[in-house]
Amino acid sequence: MIEIIISILLLIGGGLTFIGSIGILRFPDVYGRLHAATKSATLGVISIMFATFFYFWFIHDIFVGKLLLTILFVFLTAPVAAFMVSKAAYNTGIKMSDKNSQDDLAIAMREHEKKNKQEKSNSDV
Amino acid sequence: MAFQILLNMLIAVIWMLLKNNFSPVEFMLGYIVGLVLLFFLRRFLKFDFYFRRIYALFKLIILFSYKLIMSNYDVIKIILSPKLNIEPGIIAVPTKLKTDWEVTLLANLISLTPGTLSMYFSEDGRTIFIHSIHVPDKEAAIKEIHDSFEKAILEVTN
Amino acid sequence: MLYTVSHITLVLMSLSIAICLYRVFIGPTIADRIVALDTTGINLIGFIGIIMILQDTVAYSEAILVIAILAFIGTIAFSKFLEGGVVIDRNHH
Repeated sequence: MIEIIISILLLIGGGLTFIGSIGILRFPDVYGRLHAATKSATLGVISIMFATFFYFWFIHDIFVGKLLLTILFVFLTAPVAAFMVSKAAYNTGIKMSDKNSQDDLAIAMREHEKKNKQEKSNSDV
Repeated sequence: MAFQILLNMLIAVIWMLLKNNFSPVEFMLGYIVGLVLLFFLRRFLKFDFYFRRIYALFKLIILFSYKLIMSNYDVIKIILSPKLNIEPGIIAVPTKLKTDWEVTLLANLISLTPGTLSMYFSEDGRTIFIHSIHVPDKEAAIKEIHDSFEKAILEVTN
Repeated sequence: MLYTVSHITLVLMSLSIAICLYRVFIGPTIADRIVALDTTGINLIGFIGIIMILQDTVAYSEAILVIAILAFIGTIAFSKFLEGGVVIDRNHH
């Protein structure tokens, strides 16, 4: 019984990781690839880690706390890493693949720059 | 809140002393008894029952798991569709949350649900810029985040 | 049964690592390469997890933690370098 659950978790994990990699290959720009990488792959690996944890807990009666710690760590760091990479990519001027799409951030940045310039000219006077 | 947890533990210790049994199981039993006592006495002692927050946190975790699975399914559908038919875009989501760590929690939860990725903060840190992989309707996307995660986080911290 | 399933999953993981490495080679921008390297690190964690099941040992659990930490630190360092040209920013604000 427990073997079936572990097998299902393993298959889900492997499938999600593989689909995430296909997403990395197929998406047209960095931001889309980040979506595929940090979520499908992360969930897949977490599923595999749960399978390993259950395997050692129920079949060998060993409670491996480090595996749980790894799950927590991956969960905590995946969004932070994605945030850093996307921020760096945007700041270095990597454009989205579709030029006509919605971009609120560009508008906000332009306004911010305008305000800065105004303040500078005011202080000069 | 810290005072209540301390009081609760004190009740658990008194319970253990009364039972003359110092096992972790007895401690848990005493803790539950203390919870019930605090729940009934909350009106006389004039405080807000702290377990409500833990319940709200639990609800947030359930909501998050549900969203994680549902939106993973959506992203898999997009990846495996023969023609990538997506309209990516960056939307600005203003938030009502006050402290920094609430906003951090919201941004992390948004990042972890597939299809949305928080990528920038405004100067005051109260507007999150979100890259979404498929935004047919901007207002609907903002409203969904407000209705699900922001509401749940507000319930935990208020 | 568990043996077969583990091997199938191992093949899937190897394929996805291969795809990620391909993206590292062709990636048009540096950010693409960072993303692919990060995913390679995350996939390695799952890979070692399956090897733990196959070899019936818990000795690799520390290795998993270290790889998770190294992948995260590496990604952060790369993206900071990409953004400002320095890894450790001394006069930040």
